[in-house]
Amino acid sequence: MNLFMYQLHRGVVGEVDSVIEFRKVTKRFGDVVAVADNDLAVMPGEFLSILGPSGCGKTTSLRMMAGFEQPTSGEVFIRGANVTGVPAYRRPVNMVFQHYALFPHLAVSANVSYGLRQRSPKPAAAEIARAVDEALAMVRLSGYGQRRIHELSGGQQQRVALARALINRPAVLLLDEPLAALDRKLRRDMQIELQNLQRDVGITFLLVTHDQEEALSMSDRVCVMREGRIVQTGSPRELYDRPVSRYVADFVGKTNFFKGPSAGEVLSIRPELIDIAASEAELPAGVSARFSVKVLNRIFLGEHTEYVVAHARLGEFMVMAPRKTERHAGLYEIGEMIAAGWRPEAERILPND
Amino acid sequence: MTRSAGRPQILTAALLAPAVLLFAVMLLAPLLVIVVFAFGERAPAGGYAAAFTFDNFLNLPARGKAFINTLTLAPIGTLLTAVIAFPVAYFLALRCDPKWRVTLLVLVMAPFWTSQLLRYYAWIMLLGAKGVPAWLSYLGFPDIRIINTPWAVLIGAVYGYLPLMVPPIYVSLEKLDKRLLEASSDLGATPLRSFLQVTLPLALPGVATGAMLVFILLMGDYILPQYLGGGKVFFIGNALVDLFLQSRNWPYGAAVSLALVAIMFVTILVYMRFVLGGSGQRRVALV
Amino acid sequence: MTKQPDFIPTSKFLDELRRYQKGSVSRRHFLGVTGLGMAAAVLGGAVPGLRPRKAYAGLSGTLNFTTWPSYFAQENLDNFTKNTGVKINVAVFGSNEEMLAKLQAGSTGWDVFVPTNYAISTYKDLNLIQPIDLARLPNYDPATQEQRFTAEGIIDGQVWAVPKDWGTTGYTYNSKAMSQKPTTWKEFWDLTRNEATGRVMVHDYQLTTIGNALKYFGYSFNSNDPKELGEAEKLLIEAKPHLFGINSDYKPSLIAGDAWMSVCWTGDAVQLQRDMPEFVYVLAKEGGEIWSDFYAITKDAPNPDAAYAFIDYILTPQINAVEVQAHGYPSPDSRTNKLVPKEMLDNPVLYPAAEALSPLEFGAAATLTNPLRAEIMARFKAA
Repeated sequence: MNLFMYQLHRGVVGEVDSVIEFRKVTKRFGDVVAVADNDLAVMPGEFLSILGPSGCGKTTSLRMMAGFEQPTSGEVFIRGANVTGVPAYRRPVNMVFQHYALFPHLAVSANVSYGLRQRSPKPAAAEIARAVDEALAMVRLSGYGQRRIHELSGGQQQRVALARALINRPAVLLLDEPLAALDRKLRRDMQIELQNLQRDVGITFLLVTHDQEEALSMSDRVCVMREGRIVQTGSPRELYDRPVSRYVADFVGKTNFFKGPSAGEVLSIRPELIDIAASEAELPAGVSARFSVKVLNRIFLGEHTEYVVAHARLGEFMVMAPRKTERHAGLYEIGEMIAAGWRPEAERILPND
Repeated sequence: MTRSAGRPQILTAALLAPAVLLFAVMLLAPLLVIVVFAFGERAPAGGYAAAFTFDNFLNLPARGKAFINTLTLAPIGTLLTAVIAFPVAYFLALRCDPKWRVTLLVLVMAPFWTSQLLRYYAWIMLLGAKGVPAWLSYLGFPDIRIINTPWAVLIGAVYGYLPLMVPPIYVSLEKLDKRLLEASSDLGATPLRSFLQVTLPLALPGVATGAMLVFILLMGDYILPQYLGGGKVFFIGNALVDLFLQSRNWPYGAAVSLALVAIMFVTILVYMRFVLGGSGQRRVALV
Repeated sequence: MTKQPDFIPTSKFLDELRRYQKGSVSRRHFLGVTGLGMAAAVLGGAVPGLRPRKAYAGLSGTLNFTTWPSYFAQENLDNFTKNTGVKINVAVFGSNEEMLAKLQAGSTGWDVFVPTNYAISTYKDLNLIQPIDLARLPNYDPATQEQRFTAEGIIDGQVWAVPKDWGTTGYTYNSKAMSQKPTTWKEFWDLTRNEATGRVMVHDYQLTTIGNALKYFGYSFNSNDPKELGEAEKLLIEAKPHLFGINSDYKPSLIAGDAWMSVCWTGDAVQLQRDMPEFVYVLAKEGGEIWSDFYAITKDAPNPDAAYAFIDYILTPQINAVEVQAHGYPSPDSRTNKLVPKEMLDNPVLYPAAEALSPLEFGAAATLTNPLRAEIMARFKAA
């Protein structure tokens, strides 16, 4: 048995390649179980998002990684070392706070250099200055070093917070809903910027969000939480195409639910997998289920059109139709009777949780 | 347009008028009287006689000792009060169980609701021969005198002004964003360094506000040095009491008052320049 | 600006304090009567259900009475309120200089106050008091008063104040704490700078403090001679570092043991000896001050009818005898003295032998208002 296997056996190190790992982590606040018996491994260099509604335990999980909270039971590993019980200031991870938590009494450069200045021995002044310049350049804020925090816009403050964390080269960068405070347009820009940044610096990013679009668009992997438990972890595509339950399918993307084969099951069909045509005969070959439906509502969204249609037995459901399937490049009218159908592989039978 | 713009202005003026009037009557009028008196002469039986002379100002050095006493003991007393108030405020704002917070704050303020005289007499007993010096003597430090010394005045200052110093510090600590401390810890700062680099600088406006309050009141105090200093620790306030109530040399008293007011004014200017100016900017960012 | 904020009257506080120290009242009682007496000292208060006596019919409102610490019998004030329905507000002062300054500044609202002999002519000259109509004081008899204690209340044949009591200003020392037995002002000041250093107190007003320093050199208590005053100032400034305190409220420090020796009024000496017989009262051989205090009515008294009723009441021999026993100062009224217990009349502190009284001097009006003396006192305190 080599040393590594010995350590693994003894529980001294975690999985070979994880940077952060939860082992059977539970966190209780009084009677409330915030995080229940979770296992999670974050791989080096990946961009992992924890997705879930508020109160699902995602932020508590993040705070246990940062060291602001300690698990009630279970263990936390960082780079293979057991850090359970180790306070935040001795953990090699850094966090970007939801409202940035920049130090209002310090200039931008002093905020950014804060982490370096806590090190013992403290790096030389010239070294710190160079690192600050690099970090500010990385977030495109060169020349802003002497600004006061309150002189910056929300987006600029966001980037200072990033620079302040990244300058320390953390094992993992923890991001707590970092884009929630930004307006929609800026949020879109920052999503792209974050992705680019992550690719450039090669640091593991762990993002906590309730915004499924944000999680799906930015992450290599997404971990969906519900009521303190991890219900599914996988690539955005896996979650979208192969959700493990009605909860995940509902949370990730839009879908239609129909009565399932048994009481505990539902049938899920994504709206973009439903074909529509003027008549059942005109539906493409391979479409097995064919129904005659009435158009109830129609929203033109440019590249596609969203229809709400009704079928006598199935009830109302949503259809996402690309421009090319529309008759005469025109639109079906509200009240018009048309045909809808889908291929067998579009059907997903999911546990109704 | 002009009418609708004019009405709020009239309303504003009307709403401000009582405050302005009060300010003028309560503050400026007495100050004016003092200025006029300061250039006058003592009437033969005491009081004020009209004149125009600078003698009262030229005679200020005759009360030099009072100015020196006040300007050494008031800053030291203020500093001691701040040093003792800070941990109290820190505990109340950040460490104590919120359900006890109000009760404890009220307890800190409680001495303010009893007679000042009563509290000073209590200290006269405590610091007198049968009080602390007796205990010290029992512990092997005989013949230590506290009452009627500058030490007694400093103890009284800390005791008397603590209720004024704690609340502003408490408020600045209470509104401190706790996430800043987490951010500091996250960036590798030990609790002590977080305190020194984040908590303390952000609480400084509160400390300065409390210090200014205490310093100005302490500089004008005459009851504290009278009772705990026994007439031997002589403040500017005591000089004023003597000049107005004993020797009835009102013009000279007015000149000494003006000198005291000038010192207080400079203190407030320094406070506004260095503390309010800085924290005013910070407040924007904190919100 | 009173030196003694009148949240509770100092005298009452000190009385309670002494009772508490002696263990005759519980701590709860002590805190109850003192600590909670936050409002102005409305003594007596209106007692509903008690009808005013006929003689005082028509009186109402409040009487503002300004006096010295420990200088009245509370029961007398309470009874006055019961009989008349007039509430009495007591304010306590430390010196005639303060009272004068306060009255000079105006709008005091005082009705009756207690000036000392040498201050009366100044009050009259400054038009701060009103002449007394003796017809409105049926219980006061000028014929039974000792003349030397009434004299300064009468100016050019007009009565401006009526005598309350009289006393002397000597000094007291704690015979258990000190080995010497001083009998003179010379010894007082020499001991201050020697054996009793840090244990001696003098009054916080110029008249007695400078007067008794003048006695060290054998000068007149009332000297206004700049050269003599200069010597007295030198002595005072030399003695200053050796003093325990400069405070007219010297009893607490003497009782606590902080101070061993202090300039002292007769009544205080009697009050001290009552609890602690080791306190010896010295009427110094060189002399010193003899004085009498008076009742006077301010020019702008808001309630002059109550003021007359109060003075008449308090000078009634039976009432005055209670006063005398409470504050310890003898009355100049022979009718009152007949009602005072014999052991009090035999007390040499209160009624010194004629030869001890002869070198004593009444303070003079010019002594009170001399600006040089005021400035010397201020320099001494500020030194």
